[in-house]
Amino acid sequence: MLLNFDRLGGWKWILIGITGLTAAFLILPIVFIAALSFGSSQWLIFPPPAWTLKWYEAFFADPRWLEAAGTSFSIAAMVTVLSVLIGLVASFGLVRGRFIGKEGLRALFLTPMILPVVVLAVALYAFFLRIGLNGTVTGFVIAHLVVALPFSILSITNALEGFDKSIEDAAVLCGASPLEAKLRITLPSISHGLFSAAVFSFLTSWDEVVLAIFMASPTLQTLPVKIWSTLRQDLTPVIAAASTLLIVVTIALMLLVALLRKGLKS
Amino acid sequence: MALLTEQDNITAVGKIRTVRSRNFALTVPALLLLVVFFILPVVALLLRSVMEPELGLDNYRALLGSTTYLKIFLNTFSVSALVTVVTLAIGFPVAWALAIMPSRWASIVFAILLLSMWTNLLTRTYAWMVLLQRTGVINKTLMGLGLISEPLPLVNNLVGVTIGMTYIMLPFIILPLYGVIRKIDPAILQAAALCGATRWQALTRILIPLATPGMVSGALMVFVMSLGYFVTPALLGGTANMMLAELIAQFVQSLVNWGMGGAAALVLLVVTLTLYAVQLRLFGTARMEGR
Repeated sequence: MLLNFDRLGGWKWILIGITGLTAAFLILPIVFIAALSFGSSQWLIFPPPAWTLKWYEAFFADPRWLEAAGTSFSIAAMVTVLSVLIGLVASFGLVRGRFIGKEGLRALFLTPMILPVVVLAVALYAFFLRIGLNGTVTGFVIAHLVVALPFSILSITNALEGFDKSIEDAAVLCGASPLEAKLRITLPSISHGLFSAAVFSFLTSWDEVVLAIFMASPTLQTLPVKIWSTLRQDLTPVIAAASTLLIVVTIALMLLVALLRKGLKS
Repeated sequence: MALLTEQDNITAVGKIRTVRSRNFALTVPALLLLVVFFILPVVALLLRSVMEPELGLDNYRALLGSTTYLKIFLNTFSVSALVTVVTLAIGFPVAWALAIMPSRWASIVFAILLLSMWTNLLTRTYAWMVLLQRTGVINKTLMGLGLISEPLPLVNNLVGVTIGMTYIMLPFIILPLYGVIRKIDPAILQAAALCGATRWQALTRILIPLATPGMVSGALMVFVMSLGYFVTPALLGGTANMMLAELIAQFVQSLVNWGMGGAAALVLLVVTLTLYAVQLRLFGTARMEGR
């Protein structure tokens, strides 16, 4: 009755109504920002009096926006590589290892996910002040790596647990070296886990604001920090243009993930 | 491939064994990273709360003894509770509908959910700042419809924070709740109908009780995540309703008072970890993400 869509009676329409409104609530802000980034109104009036590309021109003409986007990208790329590598090695230890405190260690590796980021940001800021890593790329990469690593470990341990170890053992029994067996048998089999680890790590760093606000210096800032500091002054439509570009990146990554999932299934 | 001799087999098995015994070393790089750049800095910060400006609990006395700070704690809790209640009230019917609606419709709603979840946090907050401002679309529409004559104050206050946070938290309650409702056997509700239960009775006595573990778990997660949120309250909330995360940032950034900052961080940490432990105790697993 209640779990059969066709037999809900009048309730069906209530549920459809709430779901439709919620979907609209979730999608509308994104649509509005994309539309307003092409609107001519400085005050983001909707519907815009005219359509224009001037906010995109302003974005691409300002070296600080481009620099911030470049910094964001290179930091996210470094975080992705390190997070997948360290996460992969650690996942082998966590899944295959037999040592005391393994479960505790696994829980410890996931704690950065539950700790409020602001606490980590303040703590790292204090530490980096002492060792001079504030406002450096290294500082950014380390801070983002701490919060990205749990996502890597989670994705890769999941993939590794679903992989039948005896296939790798068989390769070793047939004469492959353990390393060769891992590189040529195991890694290709868990590639979906590695891929989602990479995507999550990249997005974690690319979108991260709180740590970045503390790590940033006047000469080194990421795109979210640039948006944050601009936002505190005014709501200029240039931010709408920058946001729309970010949304495009997000949709592209989502489609990539969806396509690869489909590819894996077929 | 040539056939392997007995001796080859033994060495190969030996190779597999040695690799296993060495496995702890593999976790060392990750462990080092976490100890040096996560555990030690956090512990050092917390220690400063009892060491600066001098040894003792003065910072905690100042923090818990002042009405200004108590108001911030109270505000943090009430905003988080409000956001939790609103997301639950919207999330339950949506998760329920998603669990039973034709899959083509459901996949459209899922795509929207994921898109909103994956969109940059600042972008989403900026969108709400624009939509809710005095001259924003929402005020313009309401005035155009003749519902209000003056623009409503929708940002820099509780309304703004609640809308912005609900927007961010909704997927975190809908997705797990969807999983829970999907697993409920429709036959139980059919049996209730056969025994003469009305729709309302079936809802309040069967569906809601069966979905309660999912609701409690999702609500706890949203509540804990909201407690530590920084960006959205800072941009959509007013100075009158500051939250704990902003207070911590302010102690450190503007006031350079590490002792008080550390003390406030400890309060947030203790509350978060306690609720996390409750979650683990009740449900065995938990996944959270705080920004």
